[in-house]
Amino acid sequence: MNLSFHNKRITGMLTIVPAEEIKFEDEMENYNFSTAKSLKLKAAMGYNARRIVKEGVCVSDLCIHGLNYVFDNGFLAREDIDALILVTQSPDYLMPATSSVIQGHFGLKQDMICMDISQGCAGYIIGIFQAFMLLEQEEINKVVLLNADVLSRKVSKKDRNSSPLIGDAASLTILEKAEGSGRITGNIRMDGTGATALMIPAGGFKLPSSAATAELKEDSAGNFRSLDNLVMKGDEVFNFVQREVPPMIERLLEKAGVGRDEVDYYMFHQPNKFMLNKLADKLNIPREKMPSNIVESFGNSSGVSIPMAITYNLKDTLKDKDYRMCLAGFGVGLTWASLLITIGHLDFCAITEF
Amino acid sequence: MEKFESGMAELLEVDTVDASDVLEGFEAWDSLTSLSIIAFIDENYGVSVSANDLVAAKTVGGLKDLVLTKAKKA
Repeated sequence: MNLSFHNKRITGMLTIVPAEEIKFEDEMENYNFSTAKSLKLKAAMGYNARRIVKEGVCVSDLCIHGLNYVFDNGFLAREDIDALILVTQSPDYLMPATSSVIQGHFGLKQDMICMDISQGCAGYIIGIFQAFMLLEQEEINKVVLLNADVLSRKVSKKDRNSSPLIGDAASLTILEKAEGSGRITGNIRMDGTGATALMIPAGGFKLPSSAATAELKEDSAGNFRSLDNLVMKGDEVFNFVQREVPPMIERLLEKAGVGRDEVDYYMFHQPNKFMLNKLADKLNIPREKMPSNIVESFGNSSGVSIPMAITYNLKDTLKDKDYRMCLAGFGVGLTWASLLITIGHLDFCAITEF
Repeated sequence: MEKFESGMAELLEVDTVDASDVLEGFEAWDSLTSLSIIAFIDENYGVSVSANDLVAAKTVGGLKDLVLTKAKKA
């Protein structure tokens, strides 16, 4: 469906990455493949280094670090937060919502709303949609959107399918009312028949974690994982993305009445270089307008990869300039969403390490 | 479709392929090659095939038939 918003803008962006870096070569021996085959995979997918959290580090830790950063630097006053949204697939607890835990940690005012949204690769865009809808309310003037995942903790180290690509990260985005921002166009579609294409089978109420779900088993491709681990049907996800994302972008631009060349940057979710380059070619977008350099330095941090691509590539100019950006996220659900929005003249735009 | 054979040969890292060659029998066969073939078919024939389709098609010729059938339906 098509969505549109008016008089809203993003006023600040911060990305939080773990300080711990792991190199692809250091983990090759975990996989059931020859060195030559692993290096071929590395080159095709654009793997190199990724950032993952230390044992026991949670989404709330990354988010609290980010909030401290904006409080300490004077970018945000605690009492100004009217809504705190956290998009994550790796919450601290099954209950309560991690956004409430964060609110409690800082002793934020009670006159506000906290909510967690269970979404992954398209989650940043869904979080923006939700923030914009909240900003329609008279008493909501400032929304803090947190997007964070620590999925490395759920990936088997012996799974060549997922382990070399996954990264952990968080992002913090501030959204506010803004007269005369112009129209912001979005769209979203979902297909729950593909709900098992990306999943963590055990650990919820359907299949609680137990000794049996922790047992590593080998799949037909020689990867070892347990039911407690994240599992991805790579071919299904690839086909889904190539089939649905290009027409989605065409619909978005058509609805907005904006030509393909009039977009400064296509900031897409960063699954891997292979998939992004195929998308750029299919959409006939020059590769320099669609950065694909996140996976090689940080890994794929699910929905966080979109704000990370923006802050990493544009942090030096985004405080002074405006860019028309087309954002797109696609993955678990299955869910695919896009947004055409002008971002710029930010109060802050930075990356910090945890 | 002659591009099919040369494309497959390149992805499977051999000089030429025969219709009767078994996909899983190639030295270069692995999940990455499988994905590269899926991408090659999507790009050149506008057809989606799954990793299971490739295994079920068994041979280079079987896969070509599958692509032709799917391309006709599309």
